[in-house]
Amino acid sequence: MEYYVLSRYAYWKYYLLILYYRLAEYPPVIRVWAIFSTISMILIVAIVIGNLVRVVRSATDTRIIAHNRVKYWDKMKQIALEARTMEPLEISALLELPKNFKMHERQHRRYVPMLIDMYRQYGDQMNKVNWQRMLQVLKMPIYFEEQVRSRSIRKRIVAFKNVADMDANLKEAVASRYLFTKDRKLENNARLHAARFGTSYPFKVLLDDPNLVFTDEMVVKFHNVLVYRQQNGMSMPNFIHWCNRTPINEELRIFAINEIRLFHRREDCAEMLSMLQNSRDERFSCALIKALGAMEYVPAEKEFTRRYLSASYTERQELAEALGAINSGNPKVLQFLEDDFMQTTDYVTRMMLLRVIHGYGSIGLQAYERLKQESPKEFAIYFKHIECDLIDSRRYA
Amino acid sequence: MPEWVYDWFSYFVIVYSTLVISSYVAMAVLAFFEHRKHYTYHDDDYTIGELKKSPYTPGVSIVAPAYNEEKTVITNVKSLLSLDYPDFEVVIVNDSSKDKTLQLLIENFDLVKVPYAYVEKIKTKPFKGLYKTKSDNPAFKRLTVVDKVNGGTKADASNAGVNVVSNKFFICTDVDCVLEKNALYRMIWPTMASTRRVIAVSATMRMSNGSIVEEGKMVESHPPHDMIPLFQDLEYTRSFLIGKTALSRINAMQNVSGGFGMFDREVVIKAGGYDGDSFAEDMDMVARMIRYMCDSGEDYRVVQIPETCCWTEGPPNFKVLNRQRTRWGRGLFQFFTVHRDMLWNRNYRQYGMLTLPYILIFELSAPVIEFLGYFMVVSLLVQWAINWSTIWIAFLGLYIFAQLLTVLIISYDVWVGTSFKKRTDYLWFILASLLEPFFYHPINVYFSLRGYVKQILGTQMVWGNMTRKGVQSANKKPAQAGAAGSTAVSAATSVAAAKSAIEEKKEEGKADA
Repeated sequence: MEYYVLSRYAYWKYYLLILYYRLAEYPPVIRVWAIFSTISMILIVAIVIGNLVRVVRSATDTRIIAHNRVKYWDKMKQIALEARTMEPLEISALLELPKNFKMHERQHRRYVPMLIDMYRQYGDQMNKVNWQRMLQVLKMPIYFEEQVRSRSIRKRIVAFKNVADMDANLKEAVASRYLFTKDRKLENNARLHAARFGTSYPFKVLLDDPNLVFTDEMVVKFHNVLVYRQQNGMSMPNFIHWCNRTPINEELRIFAINEIRLFHRREDCAEMLSMLQNSRDERFSCALIKALGAMEYVPAEKEFTRRYLSASYTERQELAEALGAINSGNPKVLQFLEDDFMQTTDYVTRMMLLRVIHGYGSIGLQAYERLKQESPKEFAIYFKHIECDLIDSRRYA
Repeated sequence: MPEWVYDWFSYFVIVYSTLVISSYVAMAVLAFFEHRKHYTYHDDDYTIGELKKSPYTPGVSIVAPAYNEEKTVITNVKSLLSLDYPDFEVVIVNDSSKDKTLQLLIENFDLVKVPYAYVEKIKTKPFKGLYKTKSDNPAFKRLTVVDKVNGGTKADASNAGVNVVSNKFFICTDVDCVLEKNALYRMIWPTMASTRRVIAVSATMRMSNGSIVEEGKMVESHPPHDMIPLFQDLEYTRSFLIGKTALSRINAMQNVSGGFGMFDREVVIKAGGYDGDSFAEDMDMVARMIRYMCDSGEDYRVVQIPETCCWTEGPPNFKVLNRQRTRWGRGLFQFFTVHRDMLWNRNYRQYGMLTLPYILIFELSAPVIEFLGYFMVVSLLVQWAINWSTIWIAFLGLYIFAQLLTVLIISYDVWVGTSFKKRTDYLWFILASLLEPFFYHPINVYFSLRGYVKQILGTQMVWGNMTRKGVQSANKKPAQAGAAGSTAVSAATSVAAAKSAIEEKKEEGKADA
């Protein structure tokens, strides 16, 4: 008797042939249903197996992360908080690592949550040199480099985020290859990394990109990066320079003006004022007005009053707010605000003007009382609203 | 009944069920890509960390209407005030409760009536007053209580809340909902990450019936162990993780749940706010927002995020389920009569060309087709004309497909970060999925049809209170997309039986000839 050994493909063919001949006598609808059921069942089994594998892996990870925490947390904390600078060998000895210490990618990944957690808790107090040396001993920079070079986009993005979260050291060159890529999220993460750790001119990439998409997400992240740079004594960009560069990205220009306000760069006020005089874009003008007002730049008052009557309601509100913030005690400005209070038809503008007048020092209070007497009866509720301490009229007006 | 009726119906059902299954396969695939994108690019901890320390993080308002909620209002308001977010306010709208809701709020949060300059941007029942705290507690300072004349609907109360919110985005929820601590971060992020204007954000909602909730906070999340809420939990999860996620990917979301959803205040006001006469006020609101954006030629996005951000109490018994589903059915029917001009209308982009036809074909028509299917099966049973030897395979195919969807949602849920305390809790989902086509689904078909009939007859419907275990609150809006899959499964199963029987009859006829 001869035995034939079938290949894998032949087994499948054999099975499908059986299925075909068994169902051949049935109507086509039933045959389709049978195929559909078979595919569905195979998918169910595959998904269940996939889920089980994922669950087991995740449970193993959780168990090992907890074990690592018990074993290393105190030692790592001791190293990070030690005022004296420690040598790598000393750190290695304290962590009881073998001489030719080597870890698998999976093992490195399991250290990451603990290290991020430690940096979040003690980042402000720790000895940065010891921290970096400990990361070196654990070979974290090599691990992150491998992750950034991996094929998976997720791994690359997660690596950039982890590096930022634990202030790890990753070569600038590794990230620079993703500064211009098709994947916008990856590109943004690489740019953020370059901006955070770059030493030359890390923001150049923003100014050079003609297709830059600068979302609110990037605004938040770039501001945090700038705060980090300032706290760590790194070079800061010249924001006013960003506004004059080509190609001009409107979002980036507005961001630059907002950053001038948040970092309180009073030296840029004169140039901002000249920009305001030439500006026709409402959002950009509002950002300039807000910044000049927040920095209490008195020479801007004249321009503010000049623009006021031709401005939109949104811009008017910003102007009133800025004039209130400057609060120079100029009776002309106050008269101007009073006049507009009686003339405006917009509720929000009226409330804002009233609040600004109320907060404009002693002459403001006098004007406020005068308006209260002169205003029609239906305005009484506005005055009560502004006077009530329990209402945050900055929010409600 | 003449044979051509069976013939016609059988062909119709084959086409219909093929379309339903194809749509579900397409949605499952789209949802897979959306979940993969979320998994690849999103990191919750990192996002929260960035938003926490940024001065650019936008403020968010929470609007929660309350009507006769004295049993739970204090705990739930405290829970809302303890959410983690740098800049938020909580606006509770007391819709002239007949119990001590307002009094309890005043006593517990040290509130006083303030002279607030109320401007009615959206028309509501008269405003009675606004309360703010005089306490120094910074958390209490975030609370605003609005008192108004009872409008009889949640929509009217929500509109009053929208009139006083001060932030660009507001979340509309119910006082009895339990929110995830980081819910606000998760909701605001899509508005910041998108290159287009995001007008509404929806998040996954679950049933809180089986979970451990302490002081209005979710301690341990478990699936409900009572059958009705369990079925509804499965339905919600299927809807959010497959239906809505898929539609969100192609910017064709049909609805942002009234139980928990975030909206752009400016667009809501321009669209006229919630319609107090609508029985599907949240769906109607989204439709009007989209109508406004399309009419003004602006680009927009409605986003669904996969993470669970809110737990709500599901109907505990058939009586409450009946009231809820009848209202949903009626609301859906009413929605189509109001917005029929948007259907197949190119001006309304994906919403007009894809979403509304989808709802019409697979959600509004499904109970009718399914009912006809049941009728056919009974008719064939009476004639003893069912081909029992082939019916099983048709049934099996659809039943297995329903189970595949359940396994898939479990997989997606694990992928996006499971919300259950134990993984074995998913066995309850599997149990519900195995039983759903036999018990829960046919009942829902009946309730939906009841809603349609009431809407056609114009029967006056009282909103009423939804009795909960210790809670009184307004009803919630459905997770419609999820219902369609199982509707189709049951409908197609029953009519596939009819088809088999017809073929059997034909063969018999040939043999006789």
